[in-house]
Amino acid sequence: MTSSAVTFNHVSKRFRLGEMHDSLRDLMSAAARRLTGRPQKREKTTFWALRDVDFSVARGEAVGIIGPNGAGKSTVLKLLAGILRADEGSVTVRGRLAALIEVGAGFHGDLTGRENIFLNGTILGMSRREIRTKLDDIVAFAGLERFLDTPVKRYSSGMYARLGFSIASHVQPDVLLVDEVLSVGDAVFRLRCLERMRRLVECGTTLVFVTHDLNQMQTICTRTIVLEGGTTTFEGEPRDAVAQYLGAMSRVYAERPTDVAAERAGDRSVELLDLRILSDGEEVVWLGPRDAVRLEISLRLSRPISQLIVEANLRGAGGDALVSVNSGRSDVSFDAATGEHLVTLTLPELPLAGGQYFWSVRAWDAQRGTTELDTAYRYPMVINDDGRATGSLCIRHAWSFHSSPKSVDAHEVAPPTRTTGRTGGVDREDLSVR
Amino acid sequence: MDVLSPTFGGSGLDRFRQLLVSLTWRDLRIRYKQSLLGIAWAVLLPFSMMLVFTFVFTRAINAAALLPVDMPYALYAYIGLVPWTFFSASLGGCVNSLVANRNLVTKVYFPREVFPLSCIASSFVDFCVALSVLVALMLYFQATGQWTFTPSLALLFLPVVVIVQIALTIGLGMFLAMANLFYRDVRPMFGIVIQLTMFVSAVVVPVPTGDGLLARCISLNPMVPIIGAYRDCVIAGTWPDAGGFLYAAAVALTLMIVGWIGFRRASYRFAECI
Repeated sequence: MTSSAVTFNHVSKRFRLGEMHDSLRDLMSAAARRLTGRPQKREKTTFWALRDVDFSVARGEAVGIIGPNGAGKSTVLKLLAGILRADEGSVTVRGRLAALIEVGAGFHGDLTGRENIFLNGTILGMSRREIRTKLDDIVAFAGLERFLDTPVKRYSSGMYARLGFSIASHVQPDVLLVDEVLSVGDAVFRLRCLERMRRLVECGTTLVFVTHDLNQMQTICTRTIVLEGGTTTFEGEPRDAVAQYLGAMSRVYAERPTDVAAERAGDRSVELLDLRILSDGEEVVWLGPRDAVRLEISLRLSRPISQLIVEANLRGAGGDALVSVNSGRSDVSFDAATGEHLVTLTLPELPLAGGQYFWSVRAWDAQRGTTELDTAYRYPMVINDDGRATGSLCIRHAWSFHSSPKSVDAHEVAPPTRTTGRTGGVDREDLSVR
Repeated sequence: MDVLSPTFGGSGLDRFRQLLVSLTWRDLRIRYKQSLLGIAWAVLLPFSMMLVFTFVFTRAINAAALLPVDMPYALYAYIGLVPWTFFSASLGGCVNSLVANRNLVTKVYFPREVFPLSCIASSFVDFCVALSVLVALMLYFQATGQWTFTPSLALLFLPVVVIVQIALTIGLGMFLAMANLFYRDVRPMFGIVIQLTMFVSAVVVPVPTGDGLLARCISLNPMVPIIGAYRDCVIAGTWPDAGGFLYAAAVALTLMIVGWIGFRRASYRFAECI
């Protein structure tokens, strides 16, 4: 009745918390308790991973699903793939489905690349004849011509991932489900994967794409669903969804426990008591890319350090180091006595694209040359740019536009219909060389 | 509440068949990769066991009087051990098939029956190889004059015997695979039970007959008439005992239907409970 390829009709999914009976002994004692009429010890605690989630995806549409960890994104995909069954509501998928929930699930290390292509291909729903005709393409896309007859246990993790994605992307399904698999492989391969996914969508494949990478999502998807705590909180334009998502991230991290701050390793003499992120004099968990930021780093010293150097580092959710400011490099060191101190770092702005970031703090005793503090990247901060920027930075910029006779000429040469009548081929070659 | 399972390219049955072939091929490939003798192991396992039992029962202890065997003991043991190895190796594979493929069970969807079925299929390939060696063994005994084979139409019954055994294996295999997914105790328990069962299945020693309690319990074992039927129609050239074989066939069919339906019903919980 409709042209939708995927229907998710008021779906709820419940998981049982804690372990089930894990041995026959447990089962027997539980059965004995039931027989003797004594109450069950095990309380039936359940957790709703999804609650009344309702959406549909039209044929040929590319829909992104984003949301904080634990929002239920992967559960949605597993329900669509048929791996899990809904407790309430119904899930319908029309057409041939390929789910890429884990790259290379089903690869066997002892088998060669070629053997695994056939194995994994049939697992993903291709027939062997189909695989034979696509074998060269699959291998070429993965760039593994030389290693085709090597057991995959000798592959690097990148090679493994490339082969896995290559197979899955050649299934040519009607509906493709992709779960965060593009976080593997190098940047060039990731771009090719995105390009491949876009090609599939252009050729009519319906795509459901779960990711944390807002960039990837915005380049491919035409509509985005934001999941938060198992319910849909937004559905619409990818750009607006990003803003909603960043708000959700802020809410998740606003509830972070404060005691995560205390950190000191071994006999190091500096302890990080707290790291506060302030904007406009108020503690915040999210801020805009043009907002001034103040980092308040509370340290406790167990001995006096006459030349204390402090460094603050910032990383993106993908792990790329973005900012590192070191007081020593600015020729600033602190003469600190034993006890608690507050080090303040002021940044006029953090021009980063919207997303989730993490701070880490390090401290040195410059006189002794020893590291006294080195925390993990675990102090989160969210930049909310309302979905304006893709890429890594949200830099100030300006556009201008001028028309000149010369550029008009160049445009006129470009369309082949005009040039074919004259010495067209040569003209176009000139253009492409230029 | 209804859940429409996703459909796949071509007919569902075709995809199922392709998957079964692929996974069976994988099992065989892995089993014989990095091994010098390769598929020869399919023969060597029952053959060496046959040699061991022949040595024990005819040389180490002269138990010929205890074994009312009307054919050369080596033949008796081999025709028992080949289907038994098929039976026990299939079930041994099935019991672990879902747990060993955890990654596929939780990450990819396809009918989960493929896992136990591919274990049975790969053991079946071994079975066929081992069965072909039986012909060599029969020729040997014919040539040395220890046994005379009389060609008989009963040999045509062999496929039926194999099919009944496969049905029984599917029924038990589905149940074992599923049970081990929920309770890991099943696998070690299975190891013990299958060892004991060999000696009450007329594999290397005839089962006791009579009215005793033990004899009556043993007569419930469907593998007794099945292995007996192999002996009858291949070696002795006679038709198997109809009553016993029909009983085995009925048990096998019932177990297969019940096991398969149970497996289907439970399969949607596999990914959560594994």
